[in-house]
Amino acid sequence: MVGVIKMVRMKKYKLLITSSVKKQKSSIICILLLMLMVGLCMFSSVILITSGEKSVSGEMDRLGFGDFTTWVSGFDEQLSDEIRLIPEVEQVEVQPLVFAGYEIAGSYSDNEGQLIVYDGTVPYKFISEDGSEEKIPEIKSGEIYISPAMKSSFDVDIGSTINFELSRKNGIKSFTVAGYFEDAFMGSSMIDMKSFLVSQEDLNECIFIVFSSAEYDVLGKAGAMLHVFKQTDSPLSESEFQRLVYTESSLSKYTEFSYGKESILSYMLLLQNILTGFLLAFSVILLIICLIVIAHSLSAVIEQNKKDMAILKTMGLPGSNIRMIYIFLYGGTVVLGLIAGFAISLIVSETLAGGLITSTGLLIGVDCPYGLTAIIFIGLIMISAAFIYLRTYGIIRITPMQTIQNNSSAVLVKSPIVKKSLSFSLAVREIMSGKKKYAGVCLISAVLVLFLSIVGKMGTWLGANGEGLMNAFSVAEHDLGVQPFNDTVPMDEVERVINWYSPVSETYELAMQSVTLNGQEYTANVLDETKYFHVLEGNVCGDSEILITHTVANEQGLSIGDMVEIAASGRTKQYVVSGIYQCANGMGTNIGMSIGGYSKIGNINAYIWCHHYILENGDMRDFAMEYLQNSYRGIDVHTNSWSGLSGIVLVMHILILIIYIITAVFILISVYLTATRLLQSETGNMAIYKSLGLSASELRLSFSLRFLITVVIGSLAGMILSVIFSDSLIGAVFRSFGIGSVSSGFGFLGSVLPVIATAFLFFGFAWLSSAKIKQVSLVELINENED
Amino acid sequence: MKKALLSGQKIEKSFGENKVLNGIDIDIYPEDFTVIMGASGSGKSTLLYMLSGMDKVSSGKISYKENDITSASEKEMTRLRADDFGFVFQRTHLVSNLTLYENIVLAGYISGKITEEESVSRANELIEKMNLKDSSTRLPSAVSGGEAQRAAVARAVISKPELLFADEPTGALNKSNTDEVLNLFTDLNSHGQTILLVTHDKEAALRGNRILYIEDGAVIGELSLEPYQGRNKQREDKLSEWLESLRW
Repeated sequence: MVGVIKMVRMKKYKLLITSSVKKQKSSIICILLLMLMVGLCMFSSVILITSGEKSVSGEMDRLGFGDFTTWVSGFDEQLSDEIRLIPEVEQVEVQPLVFAGYEIAGSYSDNEGQLIVYDGTVPYKFISEDGSEEKIPEIKSGEIYISPAMKSSFDVDIGSTINFELSRKNGIKSFTVAGYFEDAFMGSSMIDMKSFLVSQEDLNECIFIVFSSAEYDVLGKAGAMLHVFKQTDSPLSESEFQRLVYTESSLSKYTEFSYGKESILSYMLLLQNILTGFLLAFSVILLIICLIVIAHSLSAVIEQNKKDMAILKTMGLPGSNIRMIYIFLYGGTVVLGLIAGFAISLIVSETLAGGLITSTGLLIGVDCPYGLTAIIFIGLIMISAAFIYLRTYGIIRITPMQTIQNNSSAVLVKSPIVKKSLSFSLAVREIMSGKKKYAGVCLISAVLVLFLSIVGKMGTWLGANGEGLMNAFSVAEHDLGVQPFNDTVPMDEVERVINWYSPVSETYELAMQSVTLNGQEYTANVLDETKYFHVLEGNVCGDSEILITHTVANEQGLSIGDMVEIAASGRTKQYVVSGIYQCANGMGTNIGMSIGGYSKIGNINAYIWCHHYILENGDMRDFAMEYLQNSYRGIDVHTNSWSGLSGIVLVMHILILIIYIITAVFILISVYLTATRLLQSETGNMAIYKSLGLSASELRLSFSLRFLITVVIGSLAGMILSVIFSDSLIGAVFRSFGIGSVSSGFGFLGSVLPVIATAFLFFGFAWLSSAKIKQVSLVELINENED
Repeated sequence: MKKALLSGQKIEKSFGENKVLNGIDIDIYPEDFTVIMGASGSGKSTLLYMLSGMDKVSSGKISYKENDITSASEKEMTRLRADDFGFVFQRTHLVSNLTLYENIVLAGYISGKITEEESVSRANELIEKMNLKDSSTRLPSAVSGGEAQRAAVARAVISKPELLFADEPTGALNKSNTDEVLNLFTDLNSHGQTILLVTHDKEAALRGNRILYIEDGAVIGELSLEPYQGRNKQREDKLSEWLESLRW
């Protein structure tokens, strides 16, 4: 390195470098832009991933979340004392709250919201309308603070009214939205249950309504969040600790749901990690393309300047020093591009974090991990430098003799030249005789199509309305779910209403009950018709069997055929794992059981069942839901969707669009650079063709066809790779988020469109870049020494 | 009186401050073998490029078959190059990744004057005639300079152009290859091919029946000779005397 710096300081090298920069201005600018985009995507995603994790983890610590947090209802004070007595438990914090369904401007929540008192003891972070942190307000009676993620799910704003249904008789408590706060557990659009901050006075009123209402009228529940902390020196893992507390206390009797710190963290960051993960993968693809472009550019530069390099060698300049000039030039460009990308990423990640707030609900303090970015930066430079070093080896092999030699690199190939398709056959000939020059374009298109295909398949899987996520997060496919809370609900009439909107094609019943599996808390999805489970491996469960998700299988180290112990309501039975099924609810922390299986341990009554309907005309589900919600009390009606889904789908679609735009820009720059280099080396041939009577348009067509043919070959290879690998690649990524299987098949959007779009872009940009052919003059053919 | 196939009136060409052609008037007649001679830097090649439309004149007018082509569009010039004009350069300028045969037949394919079948049969005919049978399937880089230049001539005439422009076609060839190429030109001209050849080689100039001498961007002499019938001392002396009178 020191040698290189010393060298470039010398006058003769300064001169050579300056002249090389002038000569290769366009290549250098293009590579600079490409590396800038690589740096921008890579550093932005790294900053967001690390900042997000740090931010949520920090917030949860700050807000007093324990090693696990359990939401309980109907408990008494003794429960927390009972837990405190367990030796491994260091501390239990109780945060009182009220659960209740709510309504905003005619839209009903699918899940209960939880009203939490804000008295300043828990340091919540408040967010202004523009997404920045604002000073802590004093919450007045009648005011409510909400997660900003609700903006995208309910179109709610400051001044909107939220009505909580606590009791059927005069039990509606109304609040006016006064602002936003960061909900470090439930803020994400991925979670339908939301937290709300209210004043102590209002919470007391809500608790009073709940307790003073008759049992058949009450809709809300008074409860608490129990933050359970383990001893700092405890060797137990998070799941082992949870299991211990559940086994040694009566916590399971009161539990609504329970999550470990890691689960909460994963859930909160799920959406952000999917988005930034894709951006990171995309930046790796861009880096590969960049290296291919640099390789092509260097090969072309060395080929074109062979004579000049040979002359420099005859003048006594060692090949290694000439090579260093190119390493300095291209390496320097890579470094500058990455620095620029990094600098811009600091601003872009702030903007992205702000943009994601309405979906993630997180006010991510963008905090650049300088150590990590420095390591990535050095890694990228080392990869690029090694690559440039290898690609410039050709300079060493140039001999001074090549100043007087004019060896043609053309090779004899067999491909017919046909009059009827002259442009095409000339294009094929050029590709055949210059395979190496086009290999890069072929490779770029294959990599791009593979990635675009993955993105396209993601889009297909996601669906226009997020159908992919709906299915992944539901136990079984359905259009409508109706759960009656008491005997007064006329279910026959409800079903007639549904049938009026659309005939029901299938119906089944689902209960979601809390159980423990080998001592650890899970939700049991109980179906009366087990055929509706999305079974990925193995078989549906019988009465002595259960289904588990990949998440549970990994957490518990279980596989098909293993024996497990399931407990609920104080009863315990052994079951065999019959298969792996998909349901990403609770990050996949759930199991599937048959009604016969669950009845062995759980209490079966009419109110645990949610009646699921698959409609012949699924488009009618929202109308049916709205009618039922407005017409009947004491029922919960929901669709396969959830309120935050539209926001998530929107963000995902925007990300896909951004990836498409960056890809198009990348193709433009890559094609421009490759085309410019090719044209520089073919100016003579172009002039010859013109002298024979080929028009500039015909030459441009033939030139662009070379790219089209090469790209179609590369794209088809990319498409085949995509058909083979994309589902398993996407599946592997999504599995970590609890989504067990992603199957998109061979579709137009995911498989064919990327090929067509890539080919079209390459062809179009090659056509634009070939405009220089119009300027090629026949004077090129004039003798150099002539008059 | 024969009508000029190609004519230039008051042709001027400047490169910046440097005026290379100085108001030249010139006519090229059908079936003539016209040779333009001149010392290095006289402007003879520049004149060829102006007349053939390869480069634009600074001022003046060029007519082909009485049509003004001075400001012809690129499309019109493309058609002329494909059908009416043929070019032979000092450097062969063959397409490097096409064989000699393909270089020749390609020009026929580009031309609108002959069909694909005619292009193929004429290419084979020219290969036979120009003694290129053994090398026709080779790339330009794998044949001798003479073979490459003969292929370049064959390429230039495959579509039977009205006018063949040749710029120092023997400039880079040895004696035997020079004779072979010049014999080809003579043979073509004897079959009615109009040729405009630029050279500073007296041997090449001897093949013409009309020789123009250029100095400082102007035609300063013209010599008419009988069509070339083989080496002839009288013809050589006449050309030498004429050139000496022009201080050659």
